[in-house]
Amino acid sequence: MKQKKQLMTSSGQPVRKTPLATRVWNYRGYYLMFIPVAIFVLLIYYWPMLGIRYAWFDYKPVGPKTFVGWKHFETMFATAAFWTAFKNTLQLSIMKLLITTLTAVVASVFLNEMNNLLAKKSLQTIIYLPHFMSWAVVAGIFSMLLSPTSTGMVNGILKDIGILDPAGNGIYFLASKAWWRPIFYIINIWKETGWGTIIFLATLSGINPELYEAADIDGASRMQKIWNVTVPALTNTIITVLILNLAKVMNMFESVFVLYNSAVYDVSDVISTYIYRQTFAVALPNYGYSTAVGLFKSLVGGFLVIVCNQLSKKTRGRGIV
Amino acid sequence: MKKKVVSAILVAAMAMSMVACGSEEAADNSNAGANGTEAAGTEAAAEPEAYNLEKITMVVNGTLTANLDNRQDAFEQQWEEAVGVDLEIKQLDHSGYTDAVGRLFASGEYPDVILLSADQYAQYATTGILWDMTEAFDNAEFQSRMKYPEVNEGLKKDGKLYGFAPAYGNGCVTYVKKAWLDELNIDPSSIKTFDDYYNMLLAEKEAHPNNYGVIAAGYISGEAPYTNYLPEFWQDAYPALLQDENGVWYDGFQTDATKAAIERIAKGVADGVIDPTTLTNGTKDARESWFSNNQDGSAMCFTYWAGTWYQTLTDNLIKNEVDSELVQLEPIAEVGAYINREAPVWAIIDDGDGNNAREQAIFDAFIETMLDGGKVQVLWTYGAEDVHWSTKASEGFTINAGTDKEKVYGPYEEGTFYLLPTPNDPNSVWKKNAMDPALVICPLEGDYANFASTSDLASEGNLFFTSHMKDAPTSPASEVYTNYAGDIQTAKEVCIASVVNDGVSVDDAMATYVATVGSMVEESLADLNSAE
Repeated sequence: MKQKKQLMTSSGQPVRKTPLATRVWNYRGYYLMFIPVAIFVLLIYYWPMLGIRYAWFDYKPVGPKTFVGWKHFETMFATAAFWTAFKNTLQLSIMKLLITTLTAVVASVFLNEMNNLLAKKSLQTIIYLPHFMSWAVVAGIFSMLLSPTSTGMVNGILKDIGILDPAGNGIYFLASKAWWRPIFYIINIWKETGWGTIIFLATLSGINPELYEAADIDGASRMQKIWNVTVPALTNTIITVLILNLAKVMNMFESVFVLYNSAVYDVSDVISTYIYRQTFAVALPNYGYSTAVGLFKSLVGGFLVIVCNQLSKKTRGRGIV
Repeated sequence: MKKKVVSAILVAAMAMSMVACGSEEAADNSNAGANGTEAAGTEAAAEPEAYNLEKITMVVNGTLTANLDNRQDAFEQQWEEAVGVDLEIKQLDHSGYTDAVGRLFASGEYPDVILLSADQYAQYATTGILWDMTEAFDNAEFQSRMKYPEVNEGLKKDGKLYGFAPAYGNGCVTYVKKAWLDELNIDPSSIKTFDDYYNMLLAEKEAHPNNYGVIAAGYISGEAPYTNYLPEFWQDAYPALLQDENGVWYDGFQTDATKAAIERIAKGVADGVIDPTTLTNGTKDARESWFSNNQDGSAMCFTYWAGTWYQTLTDNLIKNEVDSELVQLEPIAEVGAYINREAPVWAIIDDGDGNNAREQAIFDAFIETMLDGGKVQVLWTYGAEDVHWSTKASEGFTINAGTDKEKVYGPYEEGTFYLLPTPNDPNSVWKKNAMDPALVICPLEGDYANFASTSDLASEGNLFFTSHMKDAPTSPASEVYTNYAGDIQTAKEVCIASVVNDGVSVDDAMATYVATVGSMVEESLADLNSAE
């Protein structure tokens, strides 16, 4: 039988552990201060979680809540639309993460290379601004720009330069399965690249200038300095950013919700929008089913957090949670 | 020490549980009291007991036009004075009404009366939450003045009425901009068939490539009647669960008529006669594009609600300083008649205590008075006296004063009914409150009989619709269907969009629909047919 390890002092004497009750009494002031925090955490974070139990119930706006066991999970796994949404969530989120991180790195490197401080600050401000726009406004702007009607600027240009037949129909970018995802990524790049540069620019400002001086002495060109000094210095930050954001990939909703439509559900519907339609687009929703789908989403999200935490420990020496 | 603590906890837990049991017992006793009342109520069924009704809470959508911005306080105050009961109005967001009602019920905040769309009514009717008002309705005083008894007869589920419609449902008619017709030298009376109609749309496209023949809010509407925004393209198809002449339920979406309709819509979009934004448009988007002050890129035809909306659409065209004269297109041969939707209903929430006294009192105070032929009916129809309408002698009023759209109303003699300027928009005249005077099932009587809307266009619109309408099929009421309704509707939208936007053949798209939700549809049909 495994024996409990006895704590010893530096002189080899066993440590006498004070009884719990005595320790609580000795530190009663701290415990008293902690009580409101504990109550707040329990009420705000944990009490609502009790709603998870409805994943095993038929729960409609009216009528009794009936226990149905694993029925909702069986229905969910047998529903093609759920799997489409699940795959889309992973594909859209991960692609978006990779693309926006890459563009943020590129933008940061180029901003870092700019010598004109006024131009650099102005450009930074300009590319930050879209981040502060709500997704509803962004969707309104891009819907107008990409409209297939005569008000659509992009189709107008394509017709003017002869790519599209001036008398023909324009491309309905947001209703095309082929175009929806590229457009979605472009909009995300436009909106989030500037914000993403903040952390990389902070890292770049911390690179030891002696490295660049050494490169100059070695006769390195500007591109060689970027490739051999700047980019390696950013690697750890890039990995950190990717890992931290990977844990959030299941949370995609608003950006898709404002841009998608029934013509592109196959390539755009994500778990959150699927849940939304199941809950809010029917006269008599079954909240039990929505909760089951939401719970599954949370479990996958929780698993990703654990994976990212392990990856973070390996790459950075410390976890994220 | 530990044992003492554990003992203390156990004693405390036991004491708590005993208190809880006591409460439960008390609750049981109170339930017993309710059951006792139920028994008493049953015994006294022949002689209904009096119920002291002090307050009614009602939930309504945006169709109560006397909203907070339009002096709802005056409407509420005059209703309370007339009925003698306190009225609390909860007006929920119109576009998110279905969802808001679901959340309201889920939270346990049941109102006393609630307005439900036909879809909601069909799905809630079988849940037991709505009071069976059949007897109250049959004994209602307004029965003697009923003009359209078939409206509420059609709402009965298994012979029971769970919701009351004070007016028939209304529907959509196709409006065409007359100036555009004149430019093309097209006489609207010559549009008799789909070919005539389609050629008219093509002629507009040819004359103005940026413009469209028609714009709508979706290729298929999200609620019944699903075809009402593009009736010329849907024609005889009805893409929902419906009954054949023998009462057997079947899926109207999987019929050849629907397939042909989808192909017509796809051709319309490909030919550029249907505005492609129809796919994503809500009703507001479609409306505003149609009467926009920039008519370049707009559409010639728009199918929208009849009656009051005829006036409203015209008003908006005037406001945007574009040619405002509209033509109401008679239904083409393939359509036959425009669809009169199932009417929205007022339902009373059953408190489940087995005693009808409270529900009957609500019926008497709220629904019976709604069609009293007098003061309360006028409140629901036109709004509050001297706020939305008046009969007092007046020199009249002017709207859009000082502009080329200036219009003078009045003077009015004492006793003459007239509508006042809209409270939150003094440059427009108030039109109506929650009930459309032309659609109501019981007329105003006595001193109020000559109250009539001054809008000729609204009256003309109503008359046009009533002479060219047919009733929408009954919505299915089935718990199984309710569970699948969201998935089935999504699959329909995807099917139509894949044909129209991706060029998938209608047979392939329909096969995908069947593969995706075919089993759900079959299960729903089996449930509906087993219940018949």
